[in-house]
Amino acid sequence: MRRQIALLGAAILICYVALFVKFNQIQVFQADALNGRSDNTRQLQRDFNEPRGSIITADGVLAAFSEERRATLRYQRVYPEGDLLAGVTGYYSFGLGSSGVERSYNDELAGRTTALKLRELTGFFTDTSSEGDVVLTVRKDLQEVARDALGDRPGAVVALDPRDGAVLTLWSSPSFDPNQLSSNDTTQATAVKEFLDAVPQKPLLIRAYQENYFPGSTFKVVTAAAGLESRAVTATTPDYPVVTEYTPPFTRQGISNFGGAPCGGTLFVILARSCNSSFAQMAVEQTGPDPMVATAERFGFNDAPPIDLPDPARSVYPTDFGEIVERPPGRPPVYSDAPKLAQTAIGQNDVRATPLQMALVAAGVAAGGEVPVPHVMDEIRARDGSVVERYEPEVWRKAVAPADAATLRQAMVGVVADGTARNMAIQGFEVGAKTGTAQLGTTPPRSHGWMIAFGGRPGQDPTVAVAVIVENLSGASAETGGSTAGPVARAVLAAALGAE
Amino acid sequence: MTATVPPSSATPRPNVQAIGTRRRTTELGLLVLSSIIVLGAYALASLGRNASLPADILPFLGVILVLVLAAHLAVRRWARCSDALLLPIVALLNGLGFVFIARLDDQLAGLQATWTGVGIAAFILTLVVVRDVRVLQRYRYTFGLVGVALLLLPLLPVFGQNINGARIWVAFGPVSFQPGEFAKIALAIFFAGYLVERREILGVATFRVGPFNTPDPRQFGPVLVAWGISLLVVIFQRDLGSALLFFLLFLVTLWVATGRAVYVVLGFVLFGVGAFVSWTQFSHVQDRVSIWLDPWADPAGSGYQVIQAAYALAWGGTSGVGPGLGIVDRIPFDETDFIVAIIGEELGLLGTTAVLVAFLLLAGSGLRIAKGAGATFGTLLAVGLTSLVAFQAFIIMAGVTRLLPLTGVTLPFVSYGGSSLVSNYVLVALLLRISDQSIRRAPDPLAAL
Repeated sequence: MRRQIALLGAAILICYVALFVKFNQIQVFQADALNGRSDNTRQLQRDFNEPRGSIITADGVLAAFSEERRATLRYQRVYPEGDLLAGVTGYYSFGLGSSGVERSYNDELAGRTTALKLRELTGFFTDTSSEGDVVLTVRKDLQEVARDALGDRPGAVVALDPRDGAVLTLWSSPSFDPNQLSSNDTTQATAVKEFLDAVPQKPLLIRAYQENYFPGSTFKVVTAAAGLESRAVTATTPDYPVVTEYTPPFTRQGISNFGGAPCGGTLFVILARSCNSSFAQMAVEQTGPDPMVATAERFGFNDAPPIDLPDPARSVYPTDFGEIVERPPGRPPVYSDAPKLAQTAIGQNDVRATPLQMALVAAGVAAGGEVPVPHVMDEIRARDGSVVERYEPEVWRKAVAPADAATLRQAMVGVVADGTARNMAIQGFEVGAKTGTAQLGTTPPRSHGWMIAFGGRPGQDPTVAVAVIVENLSGASAETGGSTAGPVARAVLAAALGAE
Repeated sequence: MTATVPPSSATPRPNVQAIGTRRRTTELGLLVLSSIIVLGAYALASLGRNASLPADILPFLGVILVLVLAAHLAVRRWARCSDALLLPIVALLNGLGFVFIARLDDQLAGLQATWTGVGIAAFILTLVVVRDVRVLQRYRYTFGLVGVALLLLPLLPVFGQNINGARIWVAFGPVSFQPGEFAKIALAIFFAGYLVERREILGVATFRVGPFNTPDPRQFGPVLVAWGISLLVVIFQRDLGSALLFFLLFLVTLWVATGRAVYVVLGFVLFGVGAFVSWTQFSHVQDRVSIWLDPWADPAGSGYQVIQAAYALAWGGTSGVGPGLGIVDRIPFDETDFIVAIIGEELGLLGTTAVLVAFLLLAGSGLRIAKGAGATFGTLLAVGLTSLVAFQAFIIMAGVTRLLPLTGVTLPFVSYGGSSLVSNYVLVALLLRISDQSIRRAPDPLAAL
């Protein structure tokens, strides 16, 4: 019997060790995964019963705060500016989750970062709570300028500081009112969400950085950069023939200039006049696919920018141009898909770019070839107003050599001085720009109007870079981009520079 | 084997006296520790919930002291030489359970306090009435009949109650209880009495099956009867947990009595067949298995309870969110079957481990008592009673953590429930009686420790 009792004890011990292992598995090893499951609302319920920090714009306007209520959920998120800053702050909803800064800086706002927790510990006996305020780089006044200039046309405006990547404006039209989505009445919030999801223009998609478009002629800045980087193109050579169209190898389909106008010349001239034929020829005959891909990727294409907002979209530049068919001496190899390469040179075919990416192209040119990491957070403050964390600016990519950046900058200034972007000129400032009209179809002709630009005091580094898109316009002439997106870009640029 | 020595005379031998005094001092010290832990947890849970000390902290302290002292003094008076660990562990589990019930539901807390009082009264009564455990052996068949009758009682048309899908309740006017909780003790007594008598016959290996010497197949009858009763419970009362428990109880007692592993093998084969047949025949068994395999197949419906329990445990993490600070409105039956999930949420892995260790110590003490009782009726009864507590706690915690399919039984002493609490106090009283008796009757009490 003694032996059986000992064995029984061992059996019971094994059962309990199995339980102990199982408790460890659930409570330690799988805990994070279980807590993070989408149908597990514990974290959320706790968050809605604890104070949450505010979101404040760079010019000191309250963009989001938590209001105490006498209800099951103690706090209700309020956005005093309505739809103006929705694309940046996002929403914070009990039933629908969160987006924007509310999501990317959730730990800071909830006070769960180590820095904020430590502060709470030191203030253990003074009853301070640990939630942090997020101060944005985005300015409310610029948001208003962008909103008013774009009006009710669908489109987007991005403005940032090329020197450190601080996003000054991030406006997408149409926008949405985060107050309704963040209602603690889940039924109401869900109904609003369903309505917004059904709107064809997709207001919940923050097109400024979550949607990509044909960049059209604004991409010629990248094509020019690739030409300069490959050393086959300089400011003075080659001198492209003045023609109405360029026909790449292996096709009869020519790449024609807008309105069938004859166009050509050296780099500055063809950029100022936006000659399709010359840039198509440059990509096929001077640069070749490999430098085109490499330069586009160094500007940030085929990747999503590391912005501190959720789900940024990738911008795309094709990487497959078929096989090498011919190796002409003194020229890049000719690929079987040369016609496609010619089209990508003017931002058509499979090229896609977010407005944010195009703003980064302008910023890269403006900042001596270095593309900064874009960010909307400036600093995190504790309850007592002291700064807990400050954003450290970083370079994302080195797109082009400083000398080539200087050439491109000069070329873009030329587009404003004597080219398609003359309406971008601002008295007392040096402005460079590039227009774009991305064709969507010919019957009836429709297009996206684009403008990318930078500006600053003459002789100094530019301090603002802008990208504007006005979507889906009727017509597709060379002026479409400049005349539609141009005034919006100019208004934002002028306001950001403090002109007038 | 221990020689039979007459029951204790009026003046105990010096060794016995010394052991008794030492054990009761230890017990008292440990009871004070248990009480401090429970009181602290009670205060913390209230601080966590309302940011204030409970208004009834002094009466609460008074009630704890009265109950604990009553039990302790009863043991001092009527089972002086019994094991010193059991009562403090029970006080800890019962107290901790009460803290969490009070934290979940004030009304249930009042009832649970009443049941604890009744349980301790039953505990004292058992010590007073059962002065010699061998008396129980004399009435083994009576207990057997009573056990089966209690088990079948809920099936009666008028008294039987279907609650939450299981027909295990009996109502007499306003008072309803689960007779199965008492049936298990009656059956443990019956099994121990029956098997201690027949262990010689059942243990003889005269029959060869392949390489094994096994007992005569005709001796397998009792195993089959126990198996049949368990199946009946599954079929008619839909109480899988209790069925499993009864079957384990019988199997363990039979195996310890005879030392024949073949019974265990046979038992597991029969269990497997029974489980498989039940699975093919009964939808409620199928439901349990599919929830066990994948609760996320129906997260808002059948899988909800187990999923929420896992979320509660994960939320607690290593050290818990703190007593009174959990999010506790989510798990159905959190104050009964799922109380360990609440403990896990608020006290973390540390809390669940403490509960595991407490049950393990309880089981260890029970088995030590069994070992000390020589090879007698007391041994088998102690084995049976210990197995009941240890395996019942295991079955429910394994169900909550999805180690096994969930079968609804209470966590002994911790869960809310009058029947369970009272019967478990009786069970512990019987263990203490066996422990006390084996020391008093041992020729060398010190060697029997």
